[in-house]
Amino acid sequence: MPDFSLSPDLESLQDLARKFARTEMMPRAAECDRRGIFPEEIYRKAFDLGLMNLNVPAEYGGSGLGAFQQCLIVEELGYGCAGMTTSIIANCLALEPILLGGTEAQKREVLEPFCRSYHLASFGLTEPGGGSDAGSLATRARRDGEGYVLSGEKCFITNAPHASLFTVFATLDPELRHKGISAFYVPREAEGVVPGKDEEKMGHRASSTGTVRFEQVRVPAAHRLGAEGEGFPLAMRTLDMTRTPIGALATGIAQCALDHAARYSRERHSFGKPIGEHQAIQMKLAMMTSQVRAARLLTWQAATLIDAGKNATLESSVAKCFASDAAMRVSDEAIQIFGGYGYMKDYPVEKLLRDAKLTQIYEGSNEIQRIVIARELLRRYAP
Amino acid sequence: MSRSVLLVAERSGDHLARPSREAAGLARRLADGGTVHGLLLGGDLDGPAAELARCGVDSVLRAEDPELLPLRALPWATVVREAAARPAAGVILLADTIFGREVAGALAALWDASVATGAIEVRPAEGDRIVVRRPVLGGRAFQELLLDGPRILLTVRPGAFPAPEPAATAAPVAPFPVAPIPAPLRAGRSAGFTGDPAPAAGPDLGSARIVVSGGRGLRSAGEFRLIEDLARELGAAVGASRAVTDAGWRPASDQVGQTGRRVTPELYVAVGISGAIQHLAGMIGSRVIVAINSDPGAPIFKSADYGIVGDLFAIVPAITAELRRERGA
Amino acid sequence: MEIQVLVKPAPETEGRIAPTADGSRLDPAGIKWVLAGYDESAVEQALLLRERSPGTIVHALSWGPAPRSEEILRAGLALGCDRATWVEAPPGFEPTGIDAARALAAVLADRPAELVLLGQQSGDSEDGLQPLALAALLGRPGFGAVSRLTWDAAGRQFSFLRSLDHGAEEWTVPAPVVVGLRQADQDPRTAKLPMILKSRKMPVDRVASATVAAALDGHPGSPPLRFSLPAPRSGAKLIEYASPEEAAQKLLKRLREEAKVLP
Ligand SMILES: Cc1cc2nc3c(=O)[nH]c(=O)nc-3n(C[C@H](O)[C@H](O)[C@H](O)COP(=O)(O)OP(=O)(O)OC[C@H]3O[C@@H](n4cnc5c(N)ncnc54)[C@H](O)[C@@H]3O)c2cc1C
Ligand SMILES: Cc1cc2nc3c(=O)[nH]c(=O)nc-3n(C[C@H](O)[C@H](O)[C@H](O)COP(=O)(O)OP(=O)(O)OC[C@H]3O[C@@H](n4cnc5c(N)ncnc54)[C@H](O)[C@@H]3O)c2cc1C
Repeated sequence: MPDFSLSPDLESLQDLARKFARTEMMPRAAECDRRGIFPEEIYRKAFDLGLMNLNVPAEYGGSGLGAFQQCLIVEELGYGCAGMTTSIIANCLALEPILLGGTEAQKREVLEPFCRSYHLASFGLTEPGGGSDAGSLATRARRDGEGYVLSGEKCFITNAPHASLFTVFATLDPELRHKGISAFYVPREAEGVVPGKDEEKMGHRASSTGTVRFEQVRVPAAHRLGAEGEGFPLAMRTLDMTRTPIGALATGIAQCALDHAARYSRERHSFGKPIGEHQAIQMKLAMMTSQVRAARLLTWQAATLIDAGKNATLESSVAKCFASDAAMRVSDEAIQIFGGYGYMKDYPVEKLLRDAKLTQIYEGSNEIQRIVIARELLRRYAP
Repeated sequence: MSRSVLLVAERSGDHLARPSREAAGLARRLADGGTVHGLLLGGDLDGPAAELARCGVDSVLRAEDPELLPLRALPWATVVREAAARPAAGVILLADTIFGREVAGALAALWDASVATGAIEVRPAEGDRIVVRRPVLGGRAFQELLLDGPRILLTVRPGAFPAPEPAATAAPVAPFPVAPIPAPLRAGRSAGFTGDPAPAAGPDLGSARIVVSGGRGLRSAGEFRLIEDLARELGAAVGASRAVTDAGWRPASDQVGQTGRRVTPELYVAVGISGAIQHLAGMIGSRVIVAINSDPGAPIFKSADYGIVGDLFAIVPAITAELRRERGA
Repeated sequence: MEIQVLVKPAPETEGRIAPTADGSRLDPAGIKWVLAGYDESAVEQALLLRERSPGTIVHALSWGPAPRSEEILRAGLALGCDRATWVEAPPGFEPTGIDAARALAAVLADRPAELVLLGQQSGDSEDGLQPLALAALLGRPGFGAVSRLTWDAAGRQFSFLRSLDHGAEEWTVPAPVVVGLRQADQDPRTAKLPMILKSRKMPVDRVASATVAAALDGHPGSPPLRFSLPAPRSGAKLIEYASPEEAAQKLLKRLREEAKVLP
């Protein structure tokens, strides 16, 4: 796509997501945000339309989309409601370790029944004792006969209170740090899986985030993903795949803020003219436009590399980092353009700022992204 | 330049349908000194024929045949085409009713005409051409078309043209012989009327053609009945300002404005609403806006097309009553 | 049963609407073409009829320029239509309702479909001529403004409700018939992602414009002169009155005769 335009094939996917965002998500977004409602009917509809298990190949019952296609869809959903989008795409994150590290038999056993009807899965990496420093996680996996026994607690787990399947990262030996970590999948009904309460959050309030405790949970060896000790690289490869769509989600938030601000700039008058005719407002709109466009193109570039099977570590970190920062700046300026109204919950823009904030934190905080970017960069300048 | 016009009229019960009467007025104007023949189809046409004869036509033709009684466009169009041939008509005019449009569709093909439907303005152009203005895209825009050639077919929107006063003298009425109608065209039978198909609940605010909204001027939830009554008569959806939804007189889903629904109906009636920018943002795209407000300085009047300065408690019931009277209820 | 369902791309009305530079028509630049309004309902009803009469084939047909007509047919395939035929319009040719009826009738004449189904009017020009023009050209009975359309497979006939200005009638008509649909039995469905992906790979048959050229030749047209947007407002015209009754009468009269928003 040298001219950066979308083919009709891609547009048809974008149209589907856009229509879903405008007709299903947006009308409920403010209410779900205000009252912290987890709108399960909307998630079921997203599943019915094929908008949920985007990354799972069609042969296992998913939508089988590439990274670029996923990004187009996630941006549109993010425009509609970032919180709902986080819950809708949580399956992609939770199932990616199975796609990357699972055997053919495991994929058939887990993914097929899971994708056949509406189910939610959760990705369990973060712990109360550490998020960014995933290598130091404390959830223990003990060998026990033919299998393992898991014990420990995960926190900030998207959809945990509603999930029927967990992918869990646990260590066989904390002394080994990264090298001690293994990955497992655990069904919700396994004895000792105890999801905690829903957290009260600043944004993404239509999503559900909670703790999940593993109290001596027996896991058969067949539910281990990859070899023992391969869990950490699997987690990192998973996040490599899902980081770019988070950039797309942030782009959607930013685009939404820009659209609101531009429209308001033509409606609101001060000093005898629409505020959009004051140059100070125009400068803001110009900056916002540039940010949104750059964010989009960076996610498109990272996604294109991923689809081509090329290394995109640097590009995906750049995209996630830039787009999430853009979402913050653009939603912040949108509130400024709305003046006092922007600060009111009646208007949609303050929610965008609260939603944008998370995109700088989760799936690898922006500080961690910058560490990655710098490391990749400096490697290229090795003396 | 004078034209020969054939007016295809519809009945309403034992009367001439009002839209057909309006079309008759236009027919006379378009004829520009030429002849206007009015054609009625069906059976038992004494009442409508007598009324049509006083609508400024030169003659009334009655095409009576049992096959023309059920409203089927193809048999009608077949007969209309014959009537348009003797003497040769240059223009066929119909009212833009649902059935009028069906007949026009069939005629457009059978009579091979230059055609336009739903005209709200019609003006003669050079030669014997005609320019027609019609709303398109759900009233969001207008289109002008040039109708040209020896055969022009036109339907006119009900209400768009004034109905002529009944003439003192009646034009002659003559039977029009109907040739047998080919079997495939008269296939099908009707089990008759099932009554009014309009749904019991009002239309949805987002897609309604007409919206009637009330503001704080209504004073209480109970008085909102005035808005509901008017909306029912107009087949409109009910909207409200935020002052009203905040007060709980109407559900929040009825709020029109920047933080409510954005609506673009063909007609928006704002009653007792001051016209705050937040409200205007939700309805300014409406095609026609009417404001009713007791304060002549209310900003809503700057953004409206028609205004009535006055007490809504007197004006609104009067409009509702007038609509009921017109409906004969 | 075979259903030929006719679909037409119409501009998405939420989008920007503006005239071309010469003002003669709607500027196609930046327009998103969608399967809109009544056509969407027609496809829905065709699919519902197929669900109720298994074995039915739903064939989508569109006349117009590339690429938008082909895209609209793919939208139909994504919704579940079995086949699609694109009748090519000469490039630059802006199809009108009656031209479309002529071109499509030329193609439909040798297709023995029991039902030709289309929206009662298009989402943009709204001229509403097509259903009955097609019926007349095909020599089959036709009805516009139809809802509750059902098919009695045994009796080989259709039953439906047909709206008129003053009420609705129930009708029964033997096949074949041409129907302009007012409303489907349920809200039009949304195409699902796997169907969208599949529809991109399905064949769309093409009928070259030369095939229908003869049907279009030598007919009078109604060329567009001007396309305009409503004039900006310059303050309300205030109604003068002596009594509320007079205010009411004057307002209604002006809404009818001047603004033309009331029948
Ligand atoms: C709503 C929500 C949903 C989430 N969903 C999931 C989920 O589904 N699954 C899951 O596993 N996790 C999930 N998370 C967790 C998320 O990924 C972590 O919060 C994130 O990785 C940061 O970890 P932390 O909160 O422990 O912060 P910490 O790691 O304690 O970091 C605190 C601060 O220090 C900075 N920092 C840390 N290390 C360094 C360093 N080396 N150099 C510079 N700065 C550093 C961080 O950037 C941050 O600013 C979710 C979080 C939230 C809020
Ligand atoms: C954050 C925020 C968001 C908002 N969002 C919206 C929104 O989405 N939609 C919205 O509508 N508003 C919104 N508003 C509110 C808006 O600013 C106005 O306050 C509101 O629209 C006023 O409603 P009103 O016109 O019904 O009441 P008022 O402004 O009180 O006007 C009442 C009008 O009724 C007239 N009146 C009184 N008695 C009679 C009578 N007997 N006959 C005729 N006329 C009479 C008066 O002359 C007056 O003009 C918002 C405000 C804020 C701060």
